[in-house]
Amino acid sequence: MSYQVSSSPTESQALYLDPAIRDWVLIPIMVVMVLVGVFRDQVTVLLSGSGPKKPVLKAIRETRVLVRGATLRSYGNHIPPSSFYSRKSYLANAYEKGYYLKNPIAMNQTVNPMDPQGMEMMMEGMKKNFAMIIPQTVIMGWVNFFFSGFVLIKMPFPLTLRFKSMLQRGVETSDMDVTWVSSLSWYFLNLFGLRSIFSLLLGEDNAADGMRDMTAMPQMGASATGQPQNYHKLHLAEKENLELTPHAWELEDVEYRLLAQYGKRPRISITETNERNEGSSSVSEYKGKGRKKGGK
Amino acid sequence: MAPPFEYKLAIETLHELRKSGERKSELVISLGGRLIREGYIGKLGDDVWSVYEQIFVAALDHREEALAKTCLENLEKRFPNSPRVKILEGMKLEAEEKLDDALKLYDEILEEDDSNIAATKRRIAIFKAKGQDQQAMEALSHYLDAFYNDAEAWLELSSLYLNYHLYKQAGFCLEELILLQPQNHLYHLKYAEILYTCDNIDNITLALKEFCRVVELCEDHVRALYGIKLVFNLSSVSIISFSTNFCVCIYQCTSRLLSVRTSSIDVKTISELNSLASERISKVYSKGNNNNNNSDEIPNCS
Repeated sequence: MSYQVSSSPTESQALYLDPAIRDWVLIPIMVVMVLVGVFRDQVTVLLSGSGPKKPVLKAIRETRVLVRGATLRSYGNHIPPSSFYSRKSYLANAYEKGYYLKNPIAMNQTVNPMDPQGMEMMMEGMKKNFAMIIPQTVIMGWVNFFFSGFVLIKMPFPLTLRFKSMLQRGVETSDMDVTWVSSLSWYFLNLFGLRSIFSLLLGEDNAADGMRDMTAMPQMGASATGQPQNYHKLHLAEKENLELTPHAWELEDVEYRLLAQYGKRPRISITETNERNEGSSSVSEYKGKGRKKGGK
Repeated sequence: MAPPFEYKLAIETLHELRKSGERKSELVISLGGRLIREGYIGKLGDDVWSVYEQIFVAALDHREEALAKTCLENLEKRFPNSPRVKILEGMKLEAEEKLDDALKLYDEILEEDDSNIAATKRRIAIFKAKGQDQQAMEALSHYLDAFYNDAEAWLELSSLYLNYHLYKQAGFCLEELILLQPQNHLYHLKYAEILYTCDNIDNITLALKEFCRVVELCEDHVRALYGIKLVFNLSSVSIISFSTNFCVCIYQCTSRLLSVRTSSIDVKTISELNSLASERISKVYSKGNNNNNNSDEIPNCS
Protein backbone atom coordinates (compact mmCIF):
# COMPACT_ATOMS: atom_id res chain seq x y z
CA MET A 1 0.00 0.00 0.00
CA SER A 2 1.02 3.55 -0.02
CA TYR A 3 2.07 3.80 3.54
CA GLN A 4 4.66 1.95 5.55
CA VAL A 5 4.52 0.68 9.07
CA SER A 6 7.54 2.26 10.59
CA SER A 7 7.40 1.49 14.29
CA SER A 8 6.49 -1.28 16.66
CA PRO A 9 2.88 -2.41 16.83
CA THR A 10 2.65 -1.41 20.49
CA GLU A 11 2.80 2.26 19.62
CA SER A 12 -0.68 2.49 18.20
CA GLN A 13 -0.49 2.90 14.45
CA ALA A 14 2.32 5.34 13.93
CA LEU A 15 2.31 5.37 10.14
CA TYR A 16 4.96 6.98 8.06
CA LEU A 17 3.53 8.66 4.94
CA ASP A 18 5.66 9.02 1.86
CA PRO A 19 6.36 12.72 1.17
CA ALA A 20 5.56 11.98 -2.46
CA ILE A 21 1.97 11.45 -1.39
CA ARG A 22 1.89 14.97 -0.03
CA ASP A 23 3.47 16.39 -3.16
CA TRP A 24 1.58 14.40 -5.75
CA VAL A 25 -1.78 13.64 -4.15
CA LEU A 26 -2.66 15.90 -1.24
CA ILE A 27 -1.67 19.22 -2.77
CA PRO A 28 -2.80 18.46 -6.35
CA ILE A 29 -6.30 17.53 -5.17
CA MET A 30 -6.61 20.80 -3.33
CA VAL A 31 -5.17 22.87 -6.15
CA VAL A 32 -7.40 21.21 -8.72
CA MET A 33 -10.45 21.82 -6.60
CA VAL A 34 -9.63 25.49 -6.16
CA LEU A 35 -8.99 25.90 -9.87
CA VAL A 36 -12.18 24.10 -10.79
CA GLY A 37 -14.06 26.34 -8.38
CA VAL A 38 -12.67 29.45 -10.04
CA PHE A 39 -13.41 28.01 -13.47
CA ARG A 40 -16.97 27.22 -12.42
CA ASP A 41 -17.47 30.74 -11.23
CA GLN A 42 -16.41 32.04 -14.63
CA VAL A 43 -18.64 29.59 -16.45
CA THR A 44 -21.64 30.61 -14.39
CA VAL A 45 -20.95 34.23 -15.19
CA LEU A 46 -20.83 33.31 -18.87
CA LEU A 47 -23.99 31.23 -18.78
CA SER A 48 -26.03 33.88 -17.06
CA GLY A 49 -24.07 36.57 -18.82
CA SER A 50 -27.04 38.34 -20.29
CA GLY A 51 -28.49 38.61 -16.81
CA PRO A 52 -32.08 37.93 -15.98
CA LYS A 53 -34.34 38.80 -18.84
CA LYS A 54 -36.05 42.12 -18.36
CA PRO A 55 -39.77 41.83 -17.84
CA VAL A 56 -41.93 43.42 -20.47
CA LEU A 57 -44.04 46.43 -19.71
CA LYS A 58 -47.25 44.48 -19.48
CA ALA A 59 -45.82 42.11 -16.91
CA ILE A 60 -44.72 45.03 -14.79
CA ARG A 61 -48.15 46.56 -15.08
CA GLU A 62 -49.75 43.31 -14.02
CA THR A 63 -47.78 43.12 -10.78
CA ARG A 64 -47.67 46.81 -9.97
CA VAL A 65 -51.40 47.21 -10.05
CA LEU A 66 -51.65 44.86 -7.10
CA VAL A 67 -49.38 47.15 -5.11
CA ARG A 68 -51.48 50.05 -6.19
CA GLY A 69 -54.54 48.44 -4.68
CA ALA A 70 -52.65 47.78 -1.48
CA THR A 71 -51.51 51.41 -1.34
CA LEU A 72 -55.06 52.61 -1.74
CA ARG A 73 -56.15 50.30 1.05
CA SER A 74 -53.52 51.44 3.48
CA TYR A 75 -53.37 55.16 2.75
CA GLY A 76 -56.80 55.82 1.30
CA ASN A 77 -57.82 57.59 4.47
CA HIS A 78 -55.74 60.57 3.49
CA ILE A 79 -57.73 61.51 0.42
CA PRO A 80 -61.28 62.81 0.31
CA PRO A 81 -64.09 60.24 0.31
CA SER A 82 -65.25 60.90 -3.22
CA SER A 83 -61.75 60.41 -4.57
CA PHE A 84 -61.34 57.28 -2.54
CA TYR A 85 -64.58 55.74 -3.74
CA SER A 86 -63.98 56.56 -7.37
CA ARG A 87 -60.55 54.96 -7.20
CA LYS A 88 -61.92 52.00 -5.35
CA SER A 89 -64.64 51.31 -7.86
CA TYR A 90 -62.30 51.84 -10.77
CA LEU A 91 -59.69 49.44 -9.46
CA ALA A 92 -62.24 46.84 -8.38
CA ASN A 93 -63.75 46.94 -11.83
CA ALA A 94 -60.36 46.73 -13.49
CA TYR A 95 -59.38 43.78 -11.34
CA GLU A 96 -62.54 41.93 -12.13
CA LYS A 97 -62.49 42.55 -15.85
CA GLY A 98 -58.79 41.87 -16.03
CA TYR A 99 -57.82 45.19 -17.64
CA TYR A 100 -54.36 45.00 -16.20
CA LEU A 101 -53.66 41.39 -17.08
CA LYS A 102 -50.85 40.65 -19.47
CA ASN A 103 -53.18 38.60 -21.55
CA PRO A 104 -56.81 39.51 -20.81
CA ILE A 105 -58.22 36.92 -23.19
CA ALA A 106 -56.66 33.99 -21.42
CA MET A 107 -57.74 35.09 -17.99
CA ASN A 108 -60.14 32.26 -17.37
CA GLN A 109 -57.89 29.49 -18.53
CA THR A 110 -55.66 27.69 -16.16
CA VAL A 111 -52.05 28.67 -16.38
CA ASN A 112 -50.15 26.72 -18.94
CA PRO A 113 -47.18 25.06 -17.23
CA MET A 114 -45.37 24.86 -20.57
CA ASP A 115 -45.49 28.60 -20.90
CA PRO A 116 -42.37 29.57 -22.87
CA GLN A 117 -41.30 32.09 -20.26
CA GLY A 118 -41.54 29.54 -17.49
CA MET A 119 -39.62 27.03 -19.58
CA GLU A 120 -36.89 29.55 -20.10
CA MET A 121 -36.49 30.07 -16.41
CA MET A 122 -36.40 26.34 -15.86
CA MET A 123 -33.72 25.92 -18.50
CA GLU A 124 -31.72 28.65 -16.83
CA GLY A 125 -31.83 26.79 -13.55
CA MET A 126 -30.92 23.51 -15.22
CA LYS A 127 -27.94 25.06 -16.94
CA LYS A 128 -26.67 26.43 -13.67
CA ASN A 129 -27.11 23.12 -11.95
CA PHE A 130 -25.23 21.27 -14.64
CA ALA A 131 -22.37 23.69 -14.32
CA MET A 132 -22.32 22.76 -10.66
CA ILE A 133 -22.73 19.03 -10.85
CA ILE A 134 -20.57 18.01 -13.79
CA PRO A 135 -17.20 19.25 -12.53
CA GLN A 136 -17.84 17.77 -9.11
CA THR A 137 -18.60 14.36 -10.57
CA VAL A 138 -15.54 14.50 -12.77
CA ILE A 139 -13.21 15.36 -9.91
CA MET A 140 -14.69 12.72 -7.71
CA GLY A 141 -14.21 10.14 -10.43
CA TRP A 142 -10.64 11.28 -10.90
CA VAL A 143 -9.85 11.01 -7.20
CA ASN A 144 -11.60 7.70 -6.96
CA PHE A 145 -9.84 6.25 -9.98
CA PHE A 146 -6.26 7.29 -9.33
CA PHE A 147 -5.97 7.72 -5.61
CA SER A 148 -8.41 5.30 -4.07
CA GLY A 149 -7.05 3.81 -0.91
CA PHE A 150 -4.49 6.52 -0.25
CA VAL A 151 -4.12 7.82 3.24
CA LEU A 152 -3.15 11.45 3.05
CA ILE A 153 -3.04 13.17 6.41
CA LYS A 154 -3.46 12.62 10.08
CA MET A 155 -5.71 14.78 12.17
CA PRO A 156 -3.77 16.36 15.03
CA PHE A 157 -6.54 15.58 17.50
CA PRO A 158 -8.30 12.39 18.55
CA LEU A 159 -11.74 11.61 17.18
CA THR A 160 -14.47 9.13 18.06
CA LEU A 161 -15.23 6.06 16.02
CA ARG A 162 -18.22 7.65 14.37
CA PHE A 163 -16.03 9.81 12.21
CA LYS A 164 -14.59 6.75 10.56
CA SER A 165 -17.10 6.68 7.74
CA MET A 166 -16.57 10.35 7.15
CA LEU A 167 -12.78 10.47 7.21
CA GLN A 168 -11.83 7.10 5.77
CA ARG A 169 -14.13 6.66 2.86
CA GLY A 170 -12.56 4.34 0.32
CA VAL A 171 -10.26 2.69 2.84
CA GLU A 172 -11.94 -0.37 4.20
CA THR A 173 -9.81 -1.16 7.24
CA SER A 174 -11.71 -1.49 10.44
CA ASP A 175 -8.61 -1.35 12.61
CA MET A 176 -7.03 1.88 11.43
CA ASP A 177 -7.11 4.87 13.77
CA VAL A 178 -9.89 7.34 13.03
CA THR A 179 -7.54 10.30 12.78
CA TRP A 180 -6.17 9.19 9.41
CA VAL A 181 -7.87 10.74 6.40
CA SER A 182 -8.32 8.98 3.09
CA SER A 183 -8.08 10.63 -0.30
CA LEU A 184 -11.79 10.51 -1.05
CA SER A 185 -12.54 12.06 2.31
CA TRP A 186 -9.95 14.71 1.66
CA TYR A 187 -11.93 15.53 -1.43
CA PHE A 188 -15.08 15.96 0.59
CA LEU A 189 -13.33 18.03 3.22
CA ASN A 190 -12.17 20.32 0.45
CA LEU A 191 -15.61 20.46 -1.12
CA PHE A 192 -17.14 21.73 2.08
CA GLY A 193 -14.18 23.64 3.41
CA LEU A 194 -13.06 25.80 0.50
CA ARG A 195 -15.93 28.25 0.77
CA SER A 196 -14.00 30.87 2.72
CA ILE A 197 -11.04 30.56 0.37
CA PHE A 198 -13.32 31.15 -2.60
CA SER A 199 -14.88 34.19 -1.01
CA LEU A 200 -11.35 35.44 -0.43
CA LEU A 201 -10.38 34.84 -4.05
CA LEU A 202 -13.54 35.75 -5.90
CA GLY A 203 -15.43 38.03 -3.58
CA GLU A 204 -18.51 37.39 -1.51
CA ASP A 205 -21.03 36.51 -4.14
CA ASN A 206 -19.35 33.74 -6.12
CA ALA A 207 -20.68 30.64 -7.75
CA ALA A 208 -17.63 28.48 -7.10
CA ASP A 209 -18.73 26.95 -3.87
CA GLY A 210 -19.92 23.40 -4.05
CA MET A 211 -22.06 23.78 -0.98
CA ARG A 212 -24.29 26.27 -2.65
CA ASP A 213 -25.96 23.82 -4.98
CA MET A 214 -26.68 21.60 -2.01
CA THR A 215 -28.52 24.39 -0.26
CA ALA A 216 -30.19 25.40 -3.49
CA MET A 217 -31.56 21.92 -4.06
CA PRO A 218 -34.53 21.89 -1.67
CA GLN A 219 -35.92 25.18 -2.87
CA MET A 220 -35.81 23.92 -6.43
CA GLY A 221 -38.91 21.91 -5.72
CA ALA A 222 -40.82 24.98 -4.61
CA SER A 223 -42.22 27.67 -6.83
CA ALA A 224 -38.78 29.18 -7.37
CA THR A 225 -38.39 27.37 -10.67
CA GLY A 226 -40.95 29.73 -12.07
CA GLN A 227 -44.26 27.99 -11.85
CA PRO A 228 -46.14 30.84 -13.47
CA GLN A 229 -48.61 32.59 -11.22
CA ASN A 230 -52.21 33.05 -12.01
CA TYR A 231 -52.49 36.79 -11.80
CA HIS A 232 -56.17 36.90 -12.41
CA LYS A 233 -56.75 35.05 -9.17
CA LEU A 234 -54.47 37.45 -7.36
CA HIS A 235 -56.32 40.37 -8.87
CA LEU A 236 -59.65 38.96 -7.78
CA ALA A 237 -58.33 38.49 -4.26
CA GLU A 238 -57.11 42.08 -4.20
CA LYS A 239 -60.49 43.22 -5.43
CA GLU A 240 -62.16 41.51 -2.52
CA ASN A 241 -59.74 43.09 -0.09
CA LEU A 242 -60.39 46.46 -1.61
CA GLU A 243 -64.12 46.14 -1.44
CA LEU A 244 -63.95 45.29 2.24
CA THR A 245 -61.93 48.41 2.99
CA PRO A 246 -63.91 51.13 4.72
CA HIS A 247 -62.97 54.76 4.42
CA ALA A 248 -62.40 56.82 7.54
CA TRP A 249 -61.32 60.21 6.31
CA GLU A 250 -58.29 61.51 8.10
CA LEU A 251 -59.36 65.11 7.50
CA GLU A 252 -62.90 64.69 8.76
CA ASP A 253 -62.34 66.86 11.83
CA VAL A 254 -58.95 68.33 11.00
CA GLU A 255 -60.08 71.89 11.73
CA TYR A 256 -61.04 70.97 15.29
CA ARG A 257 -57.85 69.07 15.77
CA LEU A 258 -55.90 72.06 14.54
CA LEU A 259 -57.69 74.44 16.86
CA ALA A 260 -57.10 72.00 19.68
CA GLN A 261 -53.45 71.73 18.74
CA TYR A 262 -52.99 75.45 19.25
CA GLY A 263 -55.09 75.39 22.38
CA LYS A 264 -58.02 77.32 20.95
CA ARG A 265 -60.44 74.57 21.76
CA PRO A 266 -60.38 71.76 24.26
CA ARG A 267 -59.45 68.39 22.89
CA ILE A 268 -62.68 66.59 22.16
CA SER A 269 -63.66 63.29 20.72
CA ILE A 270 -65.28 63.02 17.31
CA THR A 271 -68.78 62.21 18.53
CA GLU A 272 -68.84 65.29 20.69
CA THR A 273 -67.66 67.31 17.74
CA ASN A 274 -70.64 66.22 15.73
CA GLU A 275 -73.06 67.22 18.47
CA ARG A 276 -71.35 70.53 18.79
CA ASN A 277 -71.69 71.08 15.08
CA GLU A 278 -75.38 70.52 15.08
CA GLY A 279 -75.97 72.91 17.94
CA SER A 280 -73.68 75.70 16.92
CA SER A 281 -75.58 77.38 14.10
CA SER A 282 -78.37 76.86 11.67
CA VAL A 283 -75.95 76.28 8.86
CA SER A 284 -74.15 73.53 10.61
CA GLU A 285 -77.46 72.00 11.66
CA TYR A 286 -78.37 71.70 8.07
CA LYS A 287 -75.04 70.20 7.35
CA GLY A 288 -75.27 67.76 10.20
CA LYS A 289 -78.38 66.25 8.69
CA GLY A 290 -76.79 66.27 5.33
CA ARG A 291 -73.85 64.40 6.67
CA LYS A 292 -76.04 61.69 8.10
CA LYS A 293 -77.84 61.27 4.83
CA GLY A 294 -74.66 61.33 2.86
CA GLY A 295 -73.06 58.82 5.14
CA LYS A 296 -75.58 56.22 4.18
CA MET B 1 -0.10 79.78 -8.19
CA ALA B 2 -3.12 77.57 -8.02
CA PRO B 3 -3.43 75.21 -5.09
CA PRO B 4 -2.79 71.53 -5.87
CA PHE B 5 -5.85 69.81 -7.23
CA GLU B 6 -7.41 67.56 -4.62
CA TYR B 7 -8.77 64.90 -6.88
CA LYS B 8 -9.98 62.74 -4.00
CA LEU B 9 -12.22 65.50 -2.78
CA ALA B 10 -13.45 66.11 -6.32
CA ILE B 11 -14.31 62.44 -6.78
CA GLU B 12 -16.15 62.41 -3.49
CA THR B 13 -18.11 65.53 -4.36
CA LEU B 14 -19.14 64.06 -7.69
CA HIS B 15 -20.23 60.89 -5.92
CA GLU B 16 -22.33 62.85 -3.45
CA LEU B 17 -23.97 64.78 -6.26
CA ARG B 18 -24.78 61.57 -8.11
CA LYS B 19 -26.31 60.07 -5.01
CA SER B 20 -28.47 63.05 -4.19
CA GLY B 21 -29.44 63.58 -7.83
CA GLU B 22 -28.53 67.26 -7.74
CA ARG B 23 -27.68 68.76 -11.08
CA LYS B 24 -25.08 71.39 -10.29
CA SER B 25 -23.78 71.30 -13.82
CA GLU B 26 -21.25 74.08 -13.41
CA LEU B 27 -19.58 72.40 -10.46
CA VAL B 28 -19.64 69.02 -12.19
CA ILE B 29 -18.01 70.46 -15.29
CA SER B 30 -15.27 72.24 -13.41
CA LEU B 31 -14.45 69.22 -11.27
CA GLY B 32 -14.96 66.57 -13.94
CA GLY B 33 -13.24 68.54 -16.68
CA ARG B 34 -10.18 68.85 -14.49
CA LEU B 35 -10.25 65.17 -13.64
CA ILE B 36 -10.21 64.30 -17.33
CA ARG B 37 -7.68 66.92 -18.40
CA GLU B 38 -5.16 66.17 -15.71
CA GLY B 39 -5.38 62.44 -16.10
CA TYR B 40 -6.91 61.56 -12.77
CA ILE B 41 -9.67 59.61 -14.45
CA GLY B 42 -7.75 56.35 -14.03
CA LYS B 43 -8.03 56.68 -10.27
CA LEU B 44 -11.77 56.18 -10.38
CA GLY B 45 -11.83 52.44 -10.98
CA ASP B 46 -15.23 51.11 -11.96
CA ASP B 47 -16.90 54.38 -11.01
CA VAL B 48 -15.40 55.99 -14.06
CA TRP B 49 -18.35 55.16 -16.31
CA SER B 50 -20.98 56.76 -14.14
CA VAL B 51 -18.71 59.77 -13.72
CA TYR B 52 -18.42 60.04 -17.50
CA GLU B 53 -22.19 59.93 -17.73
CA GLN B 54 -22.54 62.61 -15.10
CA ILE B 55 -20.01 64.90 -16.74
CA PHE B 56 -21.63 64.29 -20.13
CA VAL B 57 -25.04 65.46 -18.96
CA ALA B 58 -23.53 68.47 -17.23
CA ALA B 59 -21.52 69.31 -20.36
CA LEU B 60 -24.68 69.22 -22.45
CA ASP B 61 -26.31 71.62 -19.99
CA HIS B 62 -23.52 74.10 -20.57
CA ARG B 63 -22.88 73.42 -24.25
CA GLU B 64 -19.36 72.18 -23.62
CA GLU B 65 -19.38 70.16 -26.78
CA ALA B 66 -15.78 69.01 -26.71
CA LEU B 67 -16.08 67.68 -23.20
CA ALA B 68 -19.35 65.95 -23.98
CA LYS B 69 -17.78 64.34 -27.01
CA THR B 70 -14.87 62.86 -25.07
CA CYS B 71 -17.21 61.41 -22.47
CA LEU B 72 -19.55 59.91 -25.00
CA GLU B 73 -16.74 58.44 -27.07
CA ASN B 74 -15.25 56.74 -24.05
CA LEU B 75 -18.60 55.35 -23.03
CA GLU B 76 -19.34 54.10 -26.52
CA LYS B 77 -16.02 52.37 -26.71
CA ARG B 78 -16.69 50.52 -23.49
CA PHE B 79 -20.41 49.74 -23.94
CA PRO B 80 -21.07 49.57 -27.67
CA ASN B 81 -24.68 48.38 -27.55
CA SER B 82 -25.92 49.58 -24.22
CA PRO B 83 -29.32 51.29 -24.27
CA ARG B 84 -28.14 53.58 -21.52
CA VAL B 85 -25.40 54.97 -23.75
CA LYS B 86 -27.87 55.21 -26.61
CA ILE B 87 -30.03 57.43 -24.44
CA LEU B 88 -27.06 59.69 -23.82
CA GLU B 89 -26.59 59.85 -27.57
CA GLY B 90 -30.22 60.84 -27.86
CA MET B 91 -29.71 63.57 -25.32
CA LYS B 92 -26.86 64.88 -27.40
CA LEU B 93 -29.19 65.00 -30.41
CA GLU B 94 -31.71 66.84 -28.27
CA ALA B 95 -29.09 69.35 -27.25
CA GLU B 96 -28.34 69.92 -30.93
CA GLU B 97 -32.07 70.44 -31.44
CA LYS B 98 -32.42 67.41 -33.68
CA LEU B 99 -35.54 66.42 -31.84
CA ASP B 100 -36.94 64.11 -34.48
CA ASP B 101 -33.74 62.10 -34.72
CA ALA B 102 -33.65 61.76 -30.97
CA LEU B 103 -37.28 60.68 -30.93
CA LYS B 104 -36.54 58.03 -33.52
CA LEU B 105 -33.65 56.76 -31.44
CA TYR B 106 -35.79 56.50 -28.31
CA ASP B 107 -38.51 54.72 -30.22
CA GLU B 108 -35.97 52.19 -31.39
CA ILE B 109 -34.86 51.55 -27.83
CA LEU B 110 -38.44 51.18 -26.68
CA GLU B 111 -39.18 48.75 -29.48
CA GLU B 112 -36.53 46.44 -28.14
CA ASP B 113 -37.37 46.91 -24.50
CA ASP B 114 -40.70 48.53 -23.83
CA SER B 115 -40.05 48.88 -20.10
CA ASN B 116 -37.05 51.16 -20.46
CA ILE B 117 -37.92 53.95 -18.06
CA ALA B 118 -35.24 56.40 -19.12
CA ALA B 119 -36.19 56.21 -22.79
CA THR B 120 -39.87 56.65 -21.95
CA LYS B 121 -39.11 59.73 -19.95
CA ARG B 122 -36.85 61.25 -22.59
CA ARG B 123 -39.61 60.70 -25.11
CA ILE B 124 -42.01 62.65 -22.94
CA ALA B 125 -39.41 65.39 -22.55
CA ILE B 126 -39.17 65.66 -26.34
CA PHE B 127 -42.91 66.01 -26.64
CA LYS B 128 -42.72 68.79 -24.12
CA ALA B 129 -39.85 70.47 -25.92
CA LYS B 130 -41.75 70.34 -29.18
CA GLY B 131 -44.74 71.89 -27.49
CA GLN B 132 -46.90 68.84 -28.08
CA ASP B 133 -48.30 68.90 -24.60
CA GLN B 134 -51.26 66.79 -25.52
CA GLN B 135 -49.00 63.94 -26.55
CA ALA B 136 -46.80 64.47 -23.54
CA MET B 137 -49.81 64.10 -21.27
CA GLU B 138 -50.91 60.97 -23.03
CA ALA B 139 -47.47 59.40 -22.89
CA LEU B 140 -47.08 60.38 -19.27
CA SER B 141 -50.38 58.91 -18.18
CA HIS B 142 -49.60 55.77 -20.11
CA TYR B 143 -46.29 55.56 -18.29
CA LEU B 144 -47.93 56.19 -14.92
CA ASP B 145 -50.47 53.49 -15.58
CA ALA B 146 -47.66 50.98 -15.18
CA PHE B 147 -45.24 52.83 -12.94
CA TYR B 148 -47.81 54.49 -10.75
CA ASN B 149 -45.35 54.91 -7.86
CA ASP B 150 -43.18 57.48 -9.63
CA ALA B 151 -43.95 60.59 -7.60
CA GLU B 152 -42.01 62.98 -9.81
CA ALA B 153 -43.90 61.87 -12.88
CA TRP B 154 -47.20 62.56 -11.16
CA LEU B 155 -45.97 66.04 -10.27
CA GLU B 156 -44.94 66.62 -13.87
CA LEU B 157 -48.31 65.48 -15.13
CA SER B 158 -50.12 67.73 -12.68
CA SER B 159 -48.11 70.76 -13.79
CA LEU B 160 -48.91 69.93 -17.41
CA TYR B 161 -52.58 69.82 -16.55
CA LEU B 162 -52.32 73.08 -14.64
CA ASN B 163 -50.92 74.76 -17.73
CA TYR B 164 -54.24 74.04 -19.37
CA HIS B 165 -56.34 74.89 -16.31
CA LEU B 166 -57.45 71.29 -15.97
CA TYR B 167 -57.75 71.56 -12.23
CA LYS B 168 -59.73 68.42 -11.72
CA GLN B 169 -57.14 66.29 -13.46
CA ALA B 170 -54.31 68.04 -11.66
CA GLY B 171 -56.13 67.41 -8.40
CA PHE B 172 -56.30 63.75 -9.27
CA CYS B 173 -52.53 63.65 -9.69
CA LEU B 174 -52.04 65.30 -6.34
CA GLU B 175 -54.37 62.79 -4.72
CA GLU B 176 -52.17 60.02 -6.10
CA LEU B 177 -49.15 61.78 -4.66
CA ILE B 178 -50.82 62.01 -1.27
CA LEU B 179 -51.55 58.30 -1.46
CA LEU B 180 -47.90 57.65 -2.17
CA GLN B 181 -46.55 59.91 0.56
CA PRO B 182 -49.34 60.78 2.96
CA GLN B 183 -47.08 62.56 5.43
CA ASN B 184 -45.54 64.93 2.90
CA HIS B 185 -47.13 68.28 3.69
CA LEU B 186 -45.99 69.86 0.44
CA TYR B 187 -48.30 67.62 -1.56
CA HIS B 188 -51.17 68.50 0.74
CA LEU B 189 -50.35 72.15 0.24
CA LYS B 190 -50.29 71.88 -3.51
CA TYR B 191 -53.53 69.93 -3.48
CA ALA B 192 -55.13 72.60 -1.30
CA GLU B 193 -54.03 75.34 -3.64
CA ILE B 194 -55.38 73.54 -6.66
CA LEU B 195 -58.68 73.03 -4.91
CA TYR B 196 -58.76 76.67 -3.90
CA THR B 197 -58.07 77.75 -7.45
CA CYS B 198 -60.87 75.82 -9.08
CA ASP B 199 -63.69 77.94 -7.83
CA ASN B 200 -66.28 75.58 -6.53
CA ILE B 201 -67.91 75.74 -3.12
CA ASP B 202 -67.43 72.06 -2.53
CA ASN B 203 -63.75 72.36 -3.21
CA ILE B 204 -63.26 75.47 -1.11
CA THR B 205 -64.18 73.69 2.10
CA LEU B 206 -61.98 70.82 1.04
CA ALA B 207 -59.17 73.28 0.39
CA LEU B 208 -59.63 74.72 3.86
CA LYS B 209 -59.38 71.26 5.35
CA GLU B 210 -56.25 70.53 3.37
CA PHE B 211 -54.68 73.80 4.47
CA CYS B 212 -55.47 72.82 8.05
CA ARG B 213 -53.86 69.47 7.42
CA VAL B 214 -50.68 71.14 6.21
CA VAL B 215 -50.47 73.25 9.34
CA GLU B 216 -51.10 70.16 11.39
CA LEU B 217 -48.31 68.25 9.67
CA CYS B 218 -45.84 71.13 9.56
CA GLU B 219 -46.30 73.52 12.41
CA ASP B 220 -46.67 77.21 11.52
CA HIS B 221 -46.41 76.62 7.80
CA VAL B 222 -46.87 80.21 6.68
CA ARG B 223 -48.09 79.51 3.19
CA ALA B 224 -50.82 77.24 4.49
CA LEU B 225 -51.80 79.73 7.20
CA TYR B 226 -52.10 82.35 4.53
CA GLY B 227 -54.22 79.93 2.56
CA ILE B 228 -56.60 79.61 5.47
CA LYS B 229 -56.94 83.37 5.51
CA LEU B 230 -57.61 83.45 1.78
CA VAL B 231 -60.35 80.89 2.16
CA PHE B 232 -61.83 82.94 4.97
CA ASN B 233 -61.81 86.09 2.86
CA LEU B 234 -63.47 84.25 0.04
CA SER B 235 -66.17 82.88 2.29
CA SER B 236 -66.78 86.16 4.15
CA VAL B 237 -67.20 88.07 0.93
CA SER B 238 -69.79 85.65 -0.28
CA ILE B 239 -71.04 84.64 3.13
CA ILE B 240 -74.65 84.78 2.09
CA SER B 241 -74.22 82.93 -1.11
CA PHE B 242 -72.05 80.60 0.86
CA SER B 243 -74.89 79.46 3.08
CA THR B 244 -77.41 79.28 0.29
CA ASN B 245 -74.98 77.41 -1.85
CA PHE B 246 -74.73 74.97 0.95
CA CYS B 247 -78.23 73.67 0.44
CA VAL B 248 -77.61 73.30 -3.27
CA CYS B 249 -74.38 71.57 -2.57
CA ILE B 250 -75.93 69.14 -0.14
CA TYR B 251 -78.74 68.29 -2.49
CA GLN B 252 -76.31 67.72 -5.26
CA CYS B 253 -74.19 65.48 -3.20
CA THR B 254 -76.83 63.35 -1.59
CA SER B 255 -78.24 62.67 -4.99
CA ARG B 256 -74.93 61.20 -5.97
CA LEU B 257 -74.97 58.01 -4.02
CA LEU B 258 -71.34 57.06 -3.98
CA SER B 259 -69.58 60.35 -3.70
CA VAL B 260 -70.10 61.29 -0.10
CA ARG B 261 -69.94 65.07 0.02
CA THR B 262 -67.13 66.71 1.82
CA SER B 263 -68.35 67.77 5.18
CA SER B 264 -68.50 71.52 5.38
CA ILE B 265 -67.24 73.77 8.10
CA ASP B 266 -69.48 76.15 9.98
CA VAL B 267 -68.89 79.87 9.93
CA LYS B 268 -67.79 80.08 13.54
CA THR B 269 -65.03 77.57 13.04
CA ILE B 270 -63.87 79.34 9.92
CA SER B 271 -63.56 82.65 11.69
CA GLU B 272 -61.78 80.96 14.55
CA LEU B 273 -59.35 79.39 12.11
CA ASN B 274 -58.89 82.79 10.50
CA SER B 275 -57.98 84.48 13.73
CA LEU B 276 -55.67 81.61 14.57
CA ALA B 277 -53.96 81.99 11.21
CA SER B 278 -53.51 85.75 11.65
CA GLU B 279 -52.10 85.21 15.09
CA ARG B 280 -49.63 82.60 13.98
CA ILE B 281 -48.52 84.54 10.91
CA SER B 282 -47.84 87.70 12.87
CA LYS B 283 -46.02 85.68 15.47
CA VAL B 284 -43.89 83.87 12.90
CA TYR B 285 -42.94 87.09 11.13
CA SER B 286 -42.16 88.99 14.27
CA LYS B 287 -39.81 86.14 15.06
CA GLY B 288 -38.56 86.09 11.48
CA ASN B 289 -37.44 89.73 11.72
CA ASN B 290 -35.03 88.79 14.42
CA ASN B 291 -33.30 85.80 12.95
CA ASN B 292 -34.40 86.02 9.32
CA ASN B 293 -35.23 82.35 9.25
CA ASN B 294 -38.66 82.43 7.75
CA SER B 295 -38.33 85.60 5.73
CA ASP B 296 -37.58 83.66 2.58
CA GLU B 297 -41.11 82.33 2.65
CA ILE B 298 -42.65 85.74 2.07
CA PRO B 299 -42.32 85.75 -1.73
CA ASN B 300 -43.93 82.32 -1.83
CA CYS B 301 -47.11 83.58 -0.30
CA SER B 302 -47.69 86.51 -2.59
